Amino acid sequence: MTPDTLFQYVPTPATLVKKEKLSDFVTLFTFQPDSGRALMHKPGQFIMLSMYGVGEAPFSVSSPPNASGSTFELAVRRIGNVTNAMHAMKVGQKVGIRGPYGTSFPVQDFVGKDTIFVAGGLGYIPLRSLLHYQLRHRDEFGRIIVMIGCRNPSERIFIDQIKELEARDDVEVYETVDCGDESWCGNVGLITSLLPHVEIDPDITHVAMVGPPVMYKFVIKQCQARGISRENIYVSLERHMKCGIGKCGHCQINGLNACVEGPVFKYHDIQTHPEAI
Amino acid sequence: MTSYTVYMDQLPGLLELWAKEFQVHVPVEVEEGIYDFVPWRKDEEIAWEYDVAYNTLKRFFLPPRETLLRFDPAACTAEVVCEAPKQLLFGVHPYDVKAANQLDTLMRKDVPDNNFIARKKNTVIFALEPAAVARNAFWASVDAHKVDNGYDLYWTRISSASFHVEVATRRGKELLLAGGPLDLATDADKEATRRAHQRIVKESLRNGLKYPWRETADILSRAWDSTLWQHRARHCFSCGTCNLVCPTCYCFDMKEELDNSLTKGERYREWDGCMMDSFSRVAGDHNFRPHTRERFRHRYYRKGKYIFDKIGQLGCVGCGRCVSGCTSGIADPKAVFNELWEADRHDS
Repeated sequence: MTPDTLFQYVPTPATLVKKEKLSDFVTLFTFQPDSGRALMHKPGQFIMLSMYGVGEAPFSVSSPPNASGSTFELAVRRIGNVTNAMHAMKVGQKVGIRGPYGTSFPVQDFVGKDTIFVAGGLGYIPLRSLLHYQLRHRDEFGRIIVMIGCRNPSERIFIDQIKELEARDDVEVYETVDCGDESWCGNVGLITSLLPHVEIDPDITHVAMVGPPVMYKFVIKQCQARGISRENIYVSLERHMKCGIGKCGHCQINGLNACVEGPVFKYHDIQTHPEAI
Repeated sequence: MTSYTVYMDQLPGLLELWAKEFQVHVPVEVEEGIYDFVPWRKDEEIAWEYDVAYNTLKRFFLPPRETLLRFDPAACTAEVVCEAPKQLLFGVHPYDVKAANQLDTLMRKDVPDNNFIARKKNTVIFALEPAAVARNAFWASVDAHKVDNGYDLYWTRISSASFHVEVATRRGKELLLAGGPLDLATDADKEATRRAHQRIVKESLRNGLKYPWRETADILSRAWDSTLWQHRARHCFSCGTCNLVCPTCYCFDMKEELDNSLTKGERYREWDGCMMDSFSRVAGDHNFRPHTRERFRHRYYRKGKYIFDKIGQLGCVGCGRCVSGCTSGIADPKAVFNELWEADRHDS
């Protein structure tokens, strides 16, 4: 029995070691588990984070597995009680964590294949874990195509990292905003406006997509129109997990528990679930 | 299986013995025609012929509010809380035993929920053959008129002065014989038990599903776009009563609170209900089931299909509590399922 099965709801402590502002609302938090042991997560998995006295909430891990030592990163938007309390934290303060939970992007299936990352808004956060994993093992993967869409330029996150990606010749980056402003001289339009510009070989292309609920059906339709098999389209469906272990019912998508059978699903497996997309 | 005959006048002595070790709960008439399980007291008149306990018995394994952790916010440490009082529920009808068994299966699935398991383990269940069928009940038609596990003793009242008691576990036998030897049941007593069971099942079958219960999931797989959801849910107040009184609903929310000094706190879970508007709302105020029709449909899919797909049982035991409790009279699983079955038959 792992500790998880013995104490399923008990978090273990982790310390905030770094805090970096990504936008007016989003901050990147780096945590070090006090146990000294790495989280052992896989790209796409989430953890439950406790701000004692405020509450507990689920967060996707944004760093790739074992990025540097045993720290891990969460990029969090300030939107509710727990996230507001997190933003008020100082380096050195502690939180409680449990997990990782849920399914992940099956990294082995992407080996030797081209990958299109479709990141709508904060969807870049969980995808970044898979993306950085692929970049670390660059030779094992084919083309890496990154598509990023935001509502407006002020909501862009990881701006410097994305600039670095753009500078590389082994990564293709396409970015768009729904509504531009005077600071923005890039593409303006929905995220669906990006795919038509890219030449792809549908037989060897995998898609990993995370974004707001409204995004999925349009992008999936587009991918299928380009000949990408529904077997090769992966989505991460985020719901408000409360227990993380398939009991509390909050994250149910029809009969599936997004915390156990998800959050990462192969589109093929959920296309008949009307509540999924 | 060993069975005994227990006489009514032997019961007070036994109850006293059991109450020394367990918190004993029995069904009593709490208001005219309304029954519920309450802590047993000497001279308490047990309602042997109760039709249904007003509140679900899930509260004994999954309390409405249950502390899971105590924490120190400054030190950022937490310790597990796992309370499991020794309790004895005397007089549980088979459909409620079945509901408890179902919760047990689901709570053990994948990652086990140890708080639930500990409570369930420390609970002795003495099942009782129903002697009356509640007006809204339909348990025999959903396969909940019999159970083969999840109880320690099975009691059937065979005369005004005696019970036939079938032993199911060693713990049950020890408790039954705690006051001394009892008469082994005679063949006549066993026959009386069989007849009592037959009579009540027949009565329960008068009201129920019009088709074999196993077909429910299949019917639902074609009913997603039925207009029934809109028709019925139009009157739904999203009050969540059907969730609260349901013996197989187990959704919960996680909350916490600090003490007055803000130095200690506890995290607890509290019953939640999928009929409530807030249930599937996420950050950014997005709601995955914003309309009552979607929540109403989800509840019936969960009862009729999702749980069936997982463990092969209907998630409804036909107790009829939701029918009685529903503020606007729309929550009736047998009416919903029968109507969908009729429509399905018509379509095919």
